[in-house]
Amino acid sequence: MRVRPAEKPGHVRAPDYLKGRSGWISCVLGHFPNPEDVAYGLSGMPEKTLYRVSFRQSNLWDGYEGPDGDRLYADVYEHWLEPEGER
Amino acid sequence: MSGVHDIGGSSGGPIDQSQHDVEDWERLADAINSALGGKGLQTTDQHRRAIESLPNYRDLGYYERWTAATEKLLIENGILTQAEIDEKAGEIERRWGGS
Amino acid sequence: MSEVHPHEEVRPERSPYAARIRAMEALLVEKSVLTEAEIQDRIEYMDSRTPANGAKLVARAWTDPDFKERLLSDAKSAARELGLDATHEAELIVVENTPVVHNLIVCTLCSCYPRAVLGRPPDWYKSFEYRSRAVREPRAVMREFGFEPEEGIEVAVHDSTADARYMVLPMRPEGTKNMDEEELAALVTRDALIGVSAPQAPSRAS
Repeated sequence: MRVRPAEKPGHVRAPDYLKGRSGWISCVLGHFPNPEDVAYGLSGMPEKTLYRVSFRQSNLWDGYEGPDGDRLYADVYEHWLEPEGER
Repeated sequence: MSGVHDIGGSSGGPIDQSQHDVEDWERLADAINSALGGKGLQTTDQHRRAIESLPNYRDLGYYERWTAATEKLLIENGILTQAEIDEKAGEIERRWGGS
Repeated sequence: MSEVHPHEEVRPERSPYAARIRAMEALLVEKSVLTEAEIQDRIEYMDSRTPANGAKLVARAWTDPDFKERLLSDAKSAARELGLDATHEAELIVVENTPVVHNLIVCTLCSCYPRAVLGRPPDWYKSFEYRSRAVREPRAVMREFGFEPEEGIEVAVHDSTADARYMVLPMRPEGTKNMDEEELAALVTRDALIGVSAPQAPSRAS
């Protein structure tokens, strides 16, 4: 899966450093109202699936100091993910 | 950059490991936020959004950002007005012998 | 109200935001939006939460494998077993250090932290420097805290970007076989629960 390399105004919980990066879905954390809408007083419905996504650090950073097995996990909502290879 | 708060991976210097004693007003900032949340008068997501939108985000300390965001939301949600907060804050500063 | 608030000292270098939050407090109480009792409740709630709670959970997990499994699969319930009320956390997840992986917790976007268990995060955890560097150079950050994982151990950084809050279950140090839970808990520091260091067995003359 890849984090959508998109710009979106307002409250966003997908950090910039992950945009456009590829990782693996580690697990499903649950379904929650969309915080990006709740932030503006909206209901955030329908609920969105939240995934724990794992990334290889050497894919995220140039010159990363550490072995290839070093990982980073982030909790990312479904609407920020797309299958790899799209677009 | 999607926001001034979105700083993962940006460069940074050594981490200052000193710890300041939590001040009473900071405890209060925590408590008011928590109490407002408990009453359904504000959500964590609203509060985060309000913090992220502060024009002077980088210049404020952690609890200063919290306080500014709480103020913004109270006004936005029509619970208090800017004028009454300003007036009351001024009164309190005078009582404390400040400016 | 013309008297000085009961627990305020006058200090010239106080932030201007102190008066603002006091003003909000006064107005919210005046308008019956909140009561002083409710506010005081929340203050006490936060003040009563400390890293010792996390240390208790770890010490129990080290001595009771079934509890450890429960801690890893449903941390809020496990906490409740030890009398720790973590219900205010949306989700609490404990990640285990093993001979293969060392975990580090950060919140790059704000400063999410398992407050309902551990209380307030340290100032450094909320700093721009930690938030920006922990994801990109976790090993350098840990070195600043005087810690280096053993050769061959991989580092896993957890960025708390949603509502799950993370706490590390460190590995039990060597040479602690004869320690009881209380002694074990004393080895577990807040920094080890965040992942910038690891518990050390006290050196003992045999």
